[in-house]
Amino acid sequence: MSDPRARPDWEAVSLRLVFGLLAAVALIFLVAPTLVILITSFTDSESLRFPPTGFSLRWYEALLDADQMQRAAWNSLQIAVCTTLLCVLLGTPASIAMARSRHPWIRACDVLFMSPLLLPALAFGFAGLIFVNQMGFRPSVTFLVLGHTIVCVPFVLRTTIAAMTQLDPALLDASRSLGASEWTTFRRVTLPLIAKGIAAGAFLAFMASFDNVPVSLFLADERTEVLPIHLWQQIESNLDVRTAAASGVIVMLTLGLMIIAERTAGLTRQMR
Amino acid sequence: MESRRGHELHLAGITQRFGDYVAVRDIDLKIGAGELVALLGPSGCGKSTLLRIISGFMPQTEGKVFFDGEAVDHLPPNKRGVGIVFQNYALFPHMTIRQNIAYGLEVQRVPAARLKTRVDEMLDLVHMGEFAERYPRQLSGGQQQRIALARCLAVDPKILLLDEPFGALDKNLRLDMQIEVKRLQREYGITTVLVTHDQEEALSMADRVAVMSRGRIEQIASPTDIYDRPETLFVNQFVGSTNVLPGIAGEMAGAGQQVTLACGERIALAEGSRLATGAQVQVSIRPEHLTLQTAPLDNAITGVIKAVMPLGPQVLYDIAVGDGTDIKVSVPRKRGDEFLLSGTRIFAAPVPPAGYRAFPV
Repeated sequence: MSDPRARPDWEAVSLRLVFGLLAAVALIFLVAPTLVILITSFTDSESLRFPPTGFSLRWYEALLDADQMQRAAWNSLQIAVCTTLLCVLLGTPASIAMARSRHPWIRACDVLFMSPLLLPALAFGFAGLIFVNQMGFRPSVTFLVLGHTIVCVPFVLRTTIAAMTQLDPALLDASRSLGASEWTTFRRVTLPLIAKGIAAGAFLAFMASFDNVPVSLFLADERTEVLPIHLWQQIESNLDVRTAAASGVIVMLTLGLMIIAERTAGLTRQMR
Repeated sequence: MESRRGHELHLAGITQRFGDYVAVRDIDLKIGAGELVALLGPSGCGKSTLLRIISGFMPQTEGKVFFDGEAVDHLPPNKRGVGIVFQNYALFPHMTIRQNIAYGLEVQRVPAARLKTRVDEMLDLVHMGEFAERYPRQLSGGQQQRIALARCLAVDPKILLLDEPFGALDKNLRLDMQIEVKRLQREYGITTVLVTHDQEEALSMADRVAVMSRGRIEQIASPTDIYDRPETLFVNQFVGSTNVLPGIAGEMAGAGQQVTLACGERIALAEGSRLATGAQVQVSIRPEHLTLQTAPLDNAITGVIKAVMPLGPQVLYDIAVGDGTDIKVSVPRKRGDEFLLSGTRIFAAPVPPAGYRAFPV
């Protein structure tokens, strides 16, 4: 690199300055709202005001008695877990097949499976509702999970395909030539080497399902309320401070999960 | 321990097409038990395709593969008993060295007690015992290659395939590993096919070399014969370097046939040439098979030295002959030798038993 005693390279300095400023602005816009809601959630007053007048844990205590909110959170968690399982079970084999093939219609499938990321989810949710009705069914938890799976599976696909392309095909040939069947090769070589990619995708799919609003809006039945929609309704009707506390819990849980994912699977490395 | 007698490999009429493209064309090749044959050729000559056919990863379009006289075409790669050492070694990165070597034995359900002795035996064989608990990424290239070989030999394959195995090693290590691999191959008496584009590797290691070009075997012979008695111009040019001079075949004169070169000289070919009189030919002579002298020589090409390049153990002379073509002559150098000077008019003639060889155009 450059010698520190040399004359400053103004072009490099200004470039770094501009990018540094942009990064700082982006960081503030990303992090600030989360911080505001976190701080607000510790307020001691009855209203959602920032900055809070005093510190208390009363709204977190109140969460313990918020039956409806807890039920919504439990629903969301169950749906997210089922969705994640389905995404992994469907997404992993699909990724392996797509990563290995260069067939043109496989490329088309890739685009098709990724399209939920690009399509407005609201349109997809609405279309899903009409489709379910056309088939003569009512919206239900089953359809909700299916709908979530369709919009969340791209995360598993992307990270697993990325892991597959990192996988040296010679390793699979080596395993086969040493006497391993295709299944044994998959179990003992392919799977351990792409596991981190799958795990990263599963994490993203879980988070995407957990806070999905547009699909849940259309495909949930009347009895199944999910957390993000419940929170929205609380805010809309009575500016409930408990929503801030609930958000606080979600933010902290997410942070914890991210740290675990980063430590074990190297989440950010899998997404590159 | 299992019998160390090698197995015979026979490729019969192997052809491989990819659409209209013929990658391998009607290959017949018999490799004796315990023999090491190198498939040598430029990239795209079909050598890697042949390797995939032998190992069972690619079903051939036509022809049959026999091990000890038995067709193996119906056997998938995991049932064929072909061990492969890959160019990048392909060690499993998530397994330790011990686990890598044990892998083949485990998937073939070798009992635990025998598995352990076998793995230890293989570690000893390649002198890597102290590295057993390390991971491949903690090893150097040469060490990884030894493990790849040990992993392969652990399951006692019938045939060993070496796919450009020394390409990733630096030059000094490469020679050491070639000697090492050759030793193990001898010790095991395992029938081996070495695929390479590196002529030195092929010539130094193989019992026989098959030079391939455009899906065919141009010549299969001992390294000495490939070098000294190439049968085609391609072999002559691909293995070592050579001077090529166009000419027209003439009458037989004594033992060798006469050729009139485009540069005006008339020379006599080495014994055994039988070319149609009047045919267009390419005459070939290697730089190190020529001697230089300022006094007239028999069967010589005359020219003027254009450049003198001292290359350490040899001196390379660039010589202009007649019609604007150049030939190169390489002369071994002893301490204190004087160079011939640029501009000197000289005579260049083959040193017996070498001679001019001619190939029809």
